[in-house]
Amino acid sequence: MIQDLMKFGPLGVLEKTSHKGLGKGHLGVLIARAGVGKTACLIHIALSKLFRDQKLVHISLENAPEKVSSYYNVIFSDLLQSLGTSHLAEMRALIQQNRMILSFLNQSFEIRRLRENLANLAQRIQFVPETLIVDGIDFSKVSEDLLEEFQEIARTSQVEIWFSALSHKHIADTNERGIPYPCNHVDHLFSIILQLEPSQSGILLKLLKDHENPIAAEAHVRLDPQTFMVTA
Amino acid sequence: MVDRIQQLRNIGISAHIDSGKTTLTERILYYTKRIFAVHEVRGKDGVGAKMDSMELEKERGITISSAATTCQWKGYTINIIDTPGHVDFTIEVERALRVLDGSILVLCAVGGVQSQSLTVDRQMNRYKVPRAAFINKCDRAGANPYRVVEQLRHRLNHNAVLMQIPIGLEVNFSGLVDLVSMKALYFRGPYGEEIVTEDIPAHLLDEAHERRDELLDKASMFSDELMEAIFEDGVTEDLIHEAVRQGSLKRALTPVFLGSAYKNMGVQPLLDGVTYYLPSPKEVENAALDLDHEGQGVSLSSDSDAPLVALAFKLEVTPYGQLTYLRIYQGSIKKGGELTNTRTKKRLKVGRLVRMHADEMEEISEGGAGDIVALFGIDCFSGDTFTDGRLNVAMTSIFVPEPVISLSVTPKDNTSSTKLSKALNRFIREDPTFRSHVDQESGETIISGMGELHLDIYVERMKREFGAEVQTGMPQVAYREAISQRVSFDYTHKKQTGGAGQYGRVAGFMEPSEEGGFEFLNQVKGGAIPTEFIPAVEKGFQSCLEKGLLLGFPVLGMRVVVNDGQFHAVDSSEMAFRQAAVGAFKQAYPKARPVILEPIMKVSVECPSEFQGNVLTSINQRRGLIVSASEDGVFTTIDGEVPLGEMFGYATTVRSLTQGKAEFTMEFNRYSKVPDAIAEKVRTEFEARKKGGKK
Repeated sequence: MIQDLMKFGPLGVLEKTSHKGLGKGHLGVLIARAGVGKTACLIHIALSKLFRDQKLVHISLENAPEKVSSYYNVIFSDLLQSLGTSHLAEMRALIQQNRMILSFLNQSFEIRRLRENLANLAQRIQFVPETLIVDGIDFSKVSEDLLEEFQEIARTSQVEIWFSALSHKHIADTNERGIPYPCNHVDHLFSIILQLEPSQSGILLKLLKDHENPIAAEAHVRLDPQTFMVTA
Repeated sequence: MVDRIQQLRNIGISAHIDSGKTTLTERILYYTKRIFAVHEVRGKDGVGAKMDSMELEKERGITISSAATTCQWKGYTINIIDTPGHVDFTIEVERALRVLDGSILVLCAVGGVQSQSLTVDRQMNRYKVPRAAFINKCDRAGANPYRVVEQLRHRLNHNAVLMQIPIGLEVNFSGLVDLVSMKALYFRGPYGEEIVTEDIPAHLLDEAHERRDELLDKASMFSDELMEAIFEDGVTEDLIHEAVRQGSLKRALTPVFLGSAYKNMGVQPLLDGVTYYLPSPKEVENAALDLDHEGQGVSLSSDSDAPLVALAFKLEVTPYGQLTYLRIYQGSIKKGGELTNTRTKKRLKVGRLVRMHADEMEEISEGGAGDIVALFGIDCFSGDTFTDGRLNVAMTSIFVPEPVISLSVTPKDNTSSTKLSKALNRFIREDPTFRSHVDQESGETIISGMGELHLDIYVERMKREFGAEVQTGMPQVAYREAISQRVSFDYTHKKQTGGAGQYGRVAGFMEPSEEGGFEFLNQVKGGAIPTEFIPAVEKGFQSCLEKGLLLGFPVLGMRVVVNDGQFHAVDSSEMAFRQAAVGAFKQAYPKARPVILEPIMKVSVECPSEFQGNVLTSINQRRGLIVSASEDGVFTTIDGEVPLGEMFGYATTVRSLTQGKAEFTMEFNRYSKVPDAIAEKVRTEFEARKKGGKK
């Protein structure tokens, strides 16, 4: 199952189509409308990292840890159903040992507190992540300053940081580089920009920005809406 | 005539410790005229609040045992179960929830949703109990009910909706704006018994309209009529009540009330809310297990004329003998009538039938469907089901967690020894999570329970209620054993010592099972072991699980597959095959790499954010795994999994690390393999204890 996930999951596809994946010190963002599967897709990326035995911090600005954890459980069990595994206990252990959930509820998120949390994790329990998943930042209001702070964290802590961004059906603004709302004003801060779009035959995963490289023709792939695995 | 049962509410009051639920209960009893003076939990008058009937509770200022009481409010009968707030006593909470139809979740306007509230709320979800929330202590410094509503939404996933807004907060808290009637309510008189209704203060009008719109928006999801009325500008109070009621019954909406029980504000509107929004026994689906048809579910009808089904949910020792609290699900109980205990099949006569009011009682002649009553002189255990003999059913068994900690108790003298056995006998009947046994090797009496505090309370009760002076040993963790690899067995039991011989051969394999329990699979083909001997083989293996061969702890998670064997036409018997299974177990178990398992607890620590680092370290040092950290305002909640053996004395440690500002809850999560280094320590300690016991 791990091999299948690496090969056909969103992260595997990304690493194949883009030049080198996101990489430490960089920010990546996944844009989609409500209900298309932003969080689910980020969790697939997260699971791929966890199964590689890489430490990861999932930061939610909306949901309590219990809810985040149950998202992981649902997606993991969907994967199990479609791919099957004989290493269930080991995979559960990898998730448990390598994942940390940080929730900032009721608008309590502050970059200062995130830095303190990450420092506490590193110094007190020797938990040093390679990836941060940040879910729930409101990109319609996000300041460039805040994203630059994240960039600083990515560089100094040597982590890659993945964000989710909510787009709206009725706002069709796109900048000259083809990056849609709500990331059209801050795209220079991101190294990889992905977009999820619903289509009749599944979900379309589009690679809109790949560091400074041109986008390859095969960079758009169709994903199964249930398993987020490549269908064709 | 209005149906009696529709005007009946069985409610619980569940909350975090110190959120003021006992004071709230006391005020409810005062306003419903069940008591005529008000006392505090830690009252200066030394009387103590009414619902804290046990001496110990009075002294510690906490509620340990649930006591039931009945009161009347505006034509409604309300049965209240006061439930304990500490997680070590969850069986009390769970039992109360099992017999309730609705509950008030009390939250502190300052502390908000704390880790204990999460546990209590999870329990309410398990028993599908609709609830209303009461945000208490709005008069305290730092009170912020709006923050608590947000916490209800985000931390507990409630679709919470404010039914009121406060007029002033902290020291300026002076009344409430009712968003249904759009009137301001003030509570006057020495105990707030006089409610004065006035117009909404001008400075709150905009906010009141905004919050009412939010209420209408949420409530209209449950009523098309209300939705239409909103469009046609014809909203009435009744339409709002009905819509909120529908949402609340489906557990899809949580009405939120505000107040300060201590300052006598907001309790009467909460009581109105209980009658409006929480269900009557008729609106709750209850089912029993049919004992004549393999435990098939039978739904119960809340009809007083139907055959009786009642559940004994609490036992209490009183000066007049054992008092048994019963919830009647269907049918009725009459004084002088007969009951059948479906567990023992014994018939019993109903002597004194009473309705309880904390520690006072009212004699009644009959109790009907939905009622909570109490009986004297009935010999039973908590959790027993009673019928009138026409049905043979059991109420769904109450989920009882296995004890995880044990303690030796030694009576100081002979008198104490007799008293101790009386006390133990009583506690076992009262509390299924409390167990006691005599260790065969050491001869010591061992008590087991759900946590340090749980056992501490029983040790104190032994002294206070039964006069038994005891010495206690160090708390011991309930270890288990499990095998870690598949191993084959082939064992022949053969004995010929004159007379009939014994012969049986069993072959197959044992392997670890992820399910946690014992699984037995019969794959014998061609009659190698005759079918009639297979149950004996299973029993043989099962008997070995009580004591593993590694250190003598019970064995968990094992699958045994028997696929071959042999029998003798004359010498084979059930006994022979049972012995063969025991022999096979002894042969295979040591080769299957048995390991020691330890209980892993789910630990949740809540503290001001500046202490996050200290708490992380304290969990890490205890071999704990941090699962998550969650910030909300200035507080952080850290969740982790920690071996129980490392948690002794943690309450003191965490307090000193956080200047007394942290609190933690702990509940059993699962069993997990003990690391090799620790296993060696466990083995040494266990063997030392064994030697000590034999001396």
